[in-house]
Amino acid sequence: MAFETFGDMFFVLLQMICVIVVIAYLITRTASFTQVLDGIVTWKGQATLILLFGALSIYGTESGITILGATANVRDLGPMVGGLACGPVVGLGAGLIGAAYRFSLGGFTAVPCATATILAGLVGGAIFLAAGRKFIGMHGAVLFAVGMEVFHMGITLVLCRPFEQALGVVEGVAFPMIIANATGVFIFAFLIGNLIVERQTKAERDSYLSELERKKAELHIAHDIQMSFLPERLPEVPGFELAALSVPAKEVGGDFYDAIPLPGNRTAFVIADVSGKGVPAALFMALSRTVLRANALVPRSAREAVSEANMLIAEDAKSGMFVTLFYAVVDPATKMFTYVNAGHNPPLLFRSGGGGPAELKGTGIILGVMPEADYREETLNLESGDLILFYTDGVTEAINPDEEQFGEKRLIETVTGCRNLPPAEIIGRIRDAVTEFSGDEPQFDDLTLMVLRVA
Amino acid sequence: MSGHVEILERRAGAVDIIVVKGRLDAGSSEKAEEHINKVLDAGGRSLLVNLCDLDYISSSGLRVLLVALKRLKKDGGALRIACAQPQILEVFTMAGFHRIFSLSPDEAAALAGFSTGP
Repeated sequence: MAFETFGDMFFVLLQMICVIVVIAYLITRTASFTQVLDGIVTWKGQATLILLFGALSIYGTESGITILGATANVRDLGPMVGGLACGPVVGLGAGLIGAAYRFSLGGFTAVPCATATILAGLVGGAIFLAAGRKFIGMHGAVLFAVGMEVFHMGITLVLCRPFEQALGVVEGVAFPMIIANATGVFIFAFLIGNLIVERQTKAERDSYLSELERKKAELHIAHDIQMSFLPERLPEVPGFELAALSVPAKEVGGDFYDAIPLPGNRTAFVIADVSGKGVPAALFMALSRTVLRANALVPRSAREAVSEANMLIAEDAKSGMFVTLFYAVVDPATKMFTYVNAGHNPPLLFRSGGGGPAELKGTGIILGVMPEADYREETLNLESGDLILFYTDGVTEAINPDEEQFGEKRLIETVTGCRNLPPAEIIGRIRDAVTEFSGDEPQFDDLTLMVLRVA
Repeated sequence: MSGHVEILERRAGAVDIIVVKGRLDAGSSEKAEEHINKVLDAGGRSLLVNLCDLDYISSSGLRVLLVALKRLKKDGGALRIACAQPQILEVFTMAGFHRIFSLSPDEAAALAGFSTGP
């Protein structure tokens, strides 16, 4: 094409740029190109890129603007970008394709043009290697394009004779060629830069998501362990009414309760709170519960059962794990209630005659801390209508948005207001009271309740 | 929930003093654990935990102290607690911790304990 004015020429260059934008977008989105960004080199990928950038070079020749028998063109663009972004093999390959096509057309500047195109790919590849096998970035790439085109003009002046004709050609095409090639490289660099940032963000997001996924799975596992070690249903205890509830917090603690039928119609009641959170706490809870169950079933006193369990748990307690535990054995024939409180918050005994509750206070140290610890046991005579509330500190330490604790006082008030209801309903009332009190505040600790009433 | 704790670090001779004020509960004990671990990682073998201005301690707070005690015992170090508040002493007593920790009524008495031994 020949043009009368520079205005017409820039209009065609603009069209050319639009085509380059589309081609650049398509090339940078191919699997072969993203492979190169990941540092993966395959023969198939390299060959594909050579063909793509080579075709771009041919397009650069074909779309050129003829001035005095020479053409202002973007033939060097494909090899330059191929070299800069994909290395010397792709740069050289594309350069050879572009150069061969240009050479086959012949003409006054055939030799310098073909030479410049091959060099564009080679030097671009050398820059890729020098930058540590990666794309040099936008500024470097555009500077290289300008330098390469200046060189292209220089080699034309050196190789083409007569010099006056060469000078005429260069004067006509130098400025548009430098601008067009620099713009083309700019477009590619812009897209490649975006692509790199996009892929980095995606990689970060993926690793964040998989971390989140892992944490969620861990919480799920902890929850499953804890749930599978709670009794599916409480045993029938003749002469007693019994209900229990455990609501694990999101970052599961390790609360548990248990009712273990013992020989001689007796039943052992357990409520416990393992320190710590997550899978370690859930596993420690499973261990403690199993050890305690095994020891409860051997005929022995409550004190001996807890002491023995403590010794076994303490030997296994790594990294400061411990468990607060209340253990009581009830004989329905005599209504005798024998308990050991290993550092658990005191259960509340509401006597049938009314009045405030009595606290069943500690009789020894928490389990898992001192293997040789001594435990005392206490015995109570229960009467018909007596009610015992076992709970963990997740109940009394639930906080409201003003950071006040639910506290023992509110707990006692709640129970006093409904103490003649069935145990399951008393538990429901307590849970509702805690939920209402906490409002939107997240539940930080497991919340476990057990109510036992003498029929 | 984690807001209401304040942790300060000081040194008195060879003794590292960590002062915990406010509430040591599920939300704040991680922070306390980090402070204590930092001191122990730096080679501290005499640790005084001052709980004189602590208003509340939960079982997760107890766990932090127990972990520190176990670690120091293993390395031949010592942990003493200065504690004045009755409600904190009550929790210690309930858990049986008064039997495994050296408790002093104030910081001066706790410091003196390091030179005379347990």
